[in-house]
Amino acid sequence: MLRRILLTLASLGLAAGLAQAQTKPTLTIYTYSSFAGKYGPAKTIEERFEATCNCELTWVTAEDAGSLLGRLRLEGQNTKADAVVGLDMNLVAEAKALNLFAPHGAEVKDLSLPIAWKDDTFIPFDWGYYAFVYDANKLPNPPKSLKELVDNPNGPKVVLQDPRTSAPGLGLLLWMQQVYGEKAGEAWGRLKPRIVTFTKGWSEAYGLFLKGEADMVMSYTTSPAYHVVAEKKSNYKAAAFAEGHYLHVELAGMTRTTKEPELAKKFMAFILSEPFQSAIPETNWMYPAKTPAAGVPVAFKDLVQPEKALLFTPEEVQQNRRAFTDAWLNATAR
Amino acid sequence: MTTLKLPHPGSLAALAILGLVAGGFIALASFDGGAPPLPSIGPYLGRVLAFTVGQAALSTLLSLALGIGLALALARRSFPGRGVVLAALSTTMVMPTIVAVFAVFAVYGRSGWFAELLAFLGWKGSFSIFGYPGILIAHVFLNAPFVARITLDGLNQIPTEHWRLAAAFGFTPGQIFRHLDWPVLRAELPGIAGLIFLMCFKSFAIVLALGGGPSRSTLEVAIFEALKVDLDFGRVAWLALIQLAICLSLTTLMHWAFTRPPVGHTIRSLVRRPDAKNRRLMLVDAVVLAAGALFLAPLALSVLTGLRNIPDVVDADLLRAFGTSMTIAMAAAFIACVLAVALASAARRRRLVLRSPRMAALYDVLPDALLAMPPFALTAGLFLLIQRFGDPSAAGFILLPLINGLAAVPFTYRYVAPRLLTAEERYGRVAASLGLAGWSKFTIMDWPVLKRPLAAGFALAMALSFGDFGIIALFGGTELVTLPYLLYERLGAYRLDEASAVGLVIVLVAFLLSHLSGRWSDARD
Repeated sequence: MLRRILLTLASLGLAAGLAQAQTKPTLTIYTYSSFAGKYGPAKTIEERFEATCNCELTWVTAEDAGSLLGRLRLEGQNTKADAVVGLDMNLVAEAKALNLFAPHGAEVKDLSLPIAWKDDTFIPFDWGYYAFVYDANKLPNPPKSLKELVDNPNGPKVVLQDPRTSAPGLGLLLWMQQVYGEKAGEAWGRLKPRIVTFTKGWSEAYGLFLKGEADMVMSYTTSPAYHVVAEKKSNYKAAAFAEGHYLHVELAGMTRTTKEPELAKKFMAFILSEPFQSAIPETNWMYPAKTPAAGVPVAFKDLVQPEKALLFTPEEVQQNRRAFTDAWLNATAR
Repeated sequence: MTTLKLPHPGSLAALAILGLVAGGFIALASFDGGAPPLPSIGPYLGRVLAFTVGQAALSTLLSLALGIGLALALARRSFPGRGVVLAALSTTMVMPTIVAVFAVFAVYGRSGWFAELLAFLGWKGSFSIFGYPGILIAHVFLNAPFVARITLDGLNQIPTEHWRLAAAFGFTPGQIFRHLDWPVLRAELPGIAGLIFLMCFKSFAIVLALGGGPSRSTLEVAIFEALKVDLDFGRVAWLALIQLAICLSLTTLMHWAFTRPPVGHTIRSLVRRPDAKNRRLMLVDAVVLAAGALFLAPLALSVLTGLRNIPDVVDADLLRAFGTSMTIAMAAAFIACVLAVALASAARRRRLVLRSPRMAALYDVLPDALLAMPPFALTAGLFLLIQRFGDPSAAGFILLPLINGLAAVPFTYRYVAPRLLTAEERYGRVAASLGLAGWSKFTIMDWPVLKRPLAAGFALAMALSFGDFGIIALFGGTELVTLPYLLYERLGAYRLDEASAVGLVIVLVAFLLSHLSGRWSDARD
């Protein structure tokens, strides 16, 4: 048994040695696990980028955007990351405070985002709206606004994510603040009887919804596209809310500490190019940041198109997150 | 009198563990330079703490009650398939939490089997398990079988001579319980209760998913929030310290309150318990076994729904992840066994040779410190330590087996420590008169008694490591993909069915390991 362990360790060491012996430069990219997984866009992106760069891409993953940032903070200046793909708007202020990111230097124009983009540190690579997803076979008349969902005491039961541990959870917290402002606490109180639970992450909540524990789940307007394309099911829909939907933008950046700054810049520019963007919709189930010439897949064209994008700036989020969370706790933790 | 003596390996292990834990804390606390301000335990943290302790205590009590009931019933009865049941008992505890959560919903959810059964019987109302019921169901499901398994192992240690005497004296079932079973339970209780309490105290995804609202969240949630959302490492260190302090003081108290009675000089062989013939006990056991089966079996069987998606997930990725998980699990189990044996022999020396049971109890509690430490904080702290000496990109390869191994020490310790005591009590004097000491004492006196429980502990540590997701969340990567990692990756990509199949693979491996573990620990000395 011991010999086998030693052998394995030795072979791991050997593999690491071989990796270093390669002559091509290597670009290390940090991302979240489903991005680099079997169904994620990483493999396609890697092939397409390597075809042009005479380099190797390696992916290093953490569970989600929050873990990515936590890991970067732990590693600090010693990080091996040349670029990071998968942060989001609500983490931008904390990410910048790490003093790890360098200007990307890429030309950012003609984006399909519903907002103007000016940041020179982070590049948006995809986006979507948060939305409540439901099964049209079971819920023929979904609420038409957030207010209707909150105020109807006989309305549908919802499963949500905890804003303290999950990105969509924080998304809904901010959405409620956008719609209700000061009165968000009271609104949470009215919604509370119909909240099944707040899960740790998106996966648990979506799983509970699919297993029939709730009528609606906090997810994305793009979720139904997955069911249409991968499962050929058209009964899952996102409810369009009259007040507008909170915006979720996923971001990439390059590090200041990279040993391959030219290559990293090349990758940053690659992010908004056709080969990267066309890989996004049917792997990451989000809208590409820059619509490819061929347009988005058919399943995306039938999706709900919110009239208004709601958004706090990263600074507003950083300053108010504690207060918003406390108001939410006061209203729901009784 | 000054003689230069090498320190006992157990003291070294204890120091190493203390050093790792303390080093991790200090690295975290001083991350931003200087000592971080103490977080005020406001009404929020106060509520969280009260709930955390309350649910953990209740979960522990219920798990112990069901577990001990099952162990006694299983000890008295034999039936076809008993071996499979025993192996299944230590499988539940190593389930990835999300598999357990989905199992609870599959059975007790709004459209679960239980609801379907009620509807079939014509009941029209609705019920909800969110809140305490859901949390307790999940925790008892995960832990009671493990309690049963460990207690049963203990009951099997009762010397054959005692049973012969009990039969000769015509002991009543009450007397058998008082004189034979209770001493075993008293010896095992503090250790098991401590383990279960710690695991429920730290439980987090389960509590959020089944709790039904943020009023039911544990201290781990606050730690997680500080680490991943606030990125406030000083706060993480303080919160982790609070958790460690509470858990350790409670487990130490338990160890001091229940001291371990000495074991007899004996050999074991299979005996039929005289109380097996008692009519009333037959009824009691039938009820306990039936209730246990009714509660546990549906939950365990619901995991089998992943079966139909197994063909979708068997690919190169899965095989590679399986290999990685196996390698890591073996390395972790090796670390856990070495540390457990070192600590247990130090504890034995304190207890039997130096006659200081309280110091010995400290050694008993020390492994629990590794469990009380939030895995996330331990990982982050150790990473900060390792980073100073080596390549951070290789950190995952070192940290994963190390942390999984450390986390398994309390469990392997439960297997190893009692047997080492037995060896000393049986053969200690003979060994001393022959002048055996150190390594030769270990190989000649201890090893024959130790090898089987150690193998069992090894298998359990492997199973635990196999199901662990904890630190992979932070240090995974395309090169370091384990089965639990694969499970969460598929979940994140909407592939719930594939995730449940991967979950089933994990549970099946744990079942096989536990089956082996059971066969080794059941075998005669």
